[in-house]
Amino acid sequence: MKKVLLILLIFQTLGYSSLMMMQKSHADELEGLSAVLPSQVGVWTAEPKDRIYDTDTIFSYIDGAGEVYRAYNMRSCLSRRYSSSNSPAIVLDIFDMGTSEDAFGVFTHDQDGSHVDVGQGGLYRPGWLSFWKGKYFVSIYVEEETAPAKKAMGELAKVVASLIRKQGSKPGILLNLPQEGLQSRSIRYLHHHALLNYHFYLADGNILNLDQHTDAVLAVYQRSGKRAHLLLVSYPNVAQATEAHKTLLLHYLPEAKSTGAVLLEDGKWSATGLKSKFLTVVLEADSRPLAEDLLREVLQNLS
Amino acid sequence: MDVGKKVITRRDFIRVGSCLTVGSLMGLPIMGRVSAKQSEKSRVILIREKEVFDSRGQLSETVLENMLDEAVTALMDAPDASSAWKQLVKPTDIVGIKTNVWFHLPTPEPLEAAIWNRLLEVGVKKENISADDRGILGNSVFERSTVLINVRPMRTHHWSGLGTLLKNYIMFVPHPWMYHGNACERLGAIWQLPHVRGKTRLNILVMLTPLFHGVGPHHFSSRYMWPYSGLIVSRDPVAADATGARIIQAKRNVFFGTEKPISPPPLHIAAASTQFGLGNSRADQIQLVKLGWKEDLLI
Repeated sequence: MKKVLLILLIFQTLGYSSLMMMQKSHADELEGLSAVLPSQVGVWTAEPKDRIYDTDTIFSYIDGAGEVYRAYNMRSCLSRRYSSSNSPAIVLDIFDMGTSEDAFGVFTHDQDGSHVDVGQGGLYRPGWLSFWKGKYFVSIYVEEETAPAKKAMGELAKVVASLIRKQGSKPGILLNLPQEGLQSRSIRYLHHHALLNYHFYLADGNILNLDQHTDAVLAVYQRSGKRAHLLLVSYPNVAQATEAHKTLLLHYLPEAKSTGAVLLEDGKWSATGLKSKFLTVVLEADSRPLAEDLLREVLQNLS
Repeated sequence: MDVGKKVITRRDFIRVGSCLTVGSLMGLPIMGRVSAKQSEKSRVILIREKEVFDSRGQLSETVLENMLDEAVTALMDAPDASSAWKQLVKPTDIVGIKTNVWFHLPTPEPLEAAIWNRLLEVGVKKENISADDRGILGNSVFERSTVLINVRPMRTHHWSGLGTLLKNYIMFVPHPWMYHGNACERLGAIWQLPHVRGKTRLNILVMLTPLFHGVGPHHFSSRYMWPYSGLIVSRDPVAADATGARIIQAKRNVFFGTEKPISPPPLHIAAASTQFGLGNSRADQIQLVKLGWKEDLLI
């Protein structure tokens, strides 16, 4: 018994140590980036000390929103403030998300704003510019927008993007989405139930068994004036996908067993299908044909 | 997940004729549980004074203190502020003032000071009063408290839709993130914990410069604040939050020129009423008393 406990302790210690080492290596990479970031942007000067946050300390920095970054497996975050005597500070946050897929994912969490040609995808809303490149998600924010601040934010974004050398790929699951009518700005790539509910409230419980190990993509379609929400989830294995499908049918679409597409109480249609380790749900479609077409096309793409 | 568990789904909301907007979610009879105190209307005081900010936008401590006095007096239906506060606390009480320190929009210090002054005037000992936010779990006054006063500014919030009075108690638990699921719907559960339950005598939702929309990781831009110049005061935190939420929703609709639902929907307000019996969220269960400046009232 003592031996077992000792072995468990060793494994636990090794696991903890490797986690700490991983976090340290991500922090090291950000420190490397920090060393080459510009010290001056327009009239704004970098404050003396950058800050680096990990998955625990991020909450002290950005309050509860830190949970979003954790839900995308954030490793660490570098924060630098640029201040000026007569203008509001510009805040640069560089999040190391570990993988380009999760950098893309956290970028899709907020798709409002106008397109900006920076990194592998950028968006601008008043006071906030965000983009992703490689495994990094970058946020540049100013408390009160002015024309010079907006210009400086754009310049800073270009410099930071050029300092991130390596490009990354988008999640492979996106390739299974039908292209016709896909509203590209509606795409959300996510892992967690809470994030799905943030974008499309489905249920209070985690009826799709989403977690760190599941990849999900939510998207809106528009075809011939009809609209639909589609959700595609990839599970680690067939058994887990099957179990999630069962739970979905039990709690949300019990009629689907007999009718296929289901007419919801608000006149919209839902349909679901399972193929290998993939679960597809057309959550709400304006018509039955649209729900059935989308489901069929996804299942074909998965072949 | 547990297949035997009762799950509330989107279809439950659709069935009761709701779309997912703040107005329609508030007070949905999901669980059908109503406590005795919910059978009466909740009294809510909304007070506004344009002069609480001067021409340079500086906060007037005197006007703010007067607003607090007038609101508490009206709430308690008392002849003056002193009598009103005596109905709320006793000299022997130990009082924790739960504030909010979010640096973009904290509880205003003059308001905190005004509350201190009123408590001292009632006869509460100085050493038995403490104002705190993130340190409340290790704060000896809060640990011994017999009374809590809840005071915070209203703002939109990334996870809960709104940073409310109900949400302000999340620091009473050691792991706040455990309550972030489903737009923080279960926040009402915190109010049922033994060290919290039944202690709150007064809720003050600060509506001086509410934040009605948020962007970015920091969820803040001064573009989305406006000088509403108000306070919402009630014994019922749910009713105060529901009233504040309606104002925020109205402001969003006006600002964006279209219906712009609070996102995510602040489910915790309705749930605090229907699941946790903490108060009333429906407008027809709230007796709203409006005092002071009426321009652009939004409610």
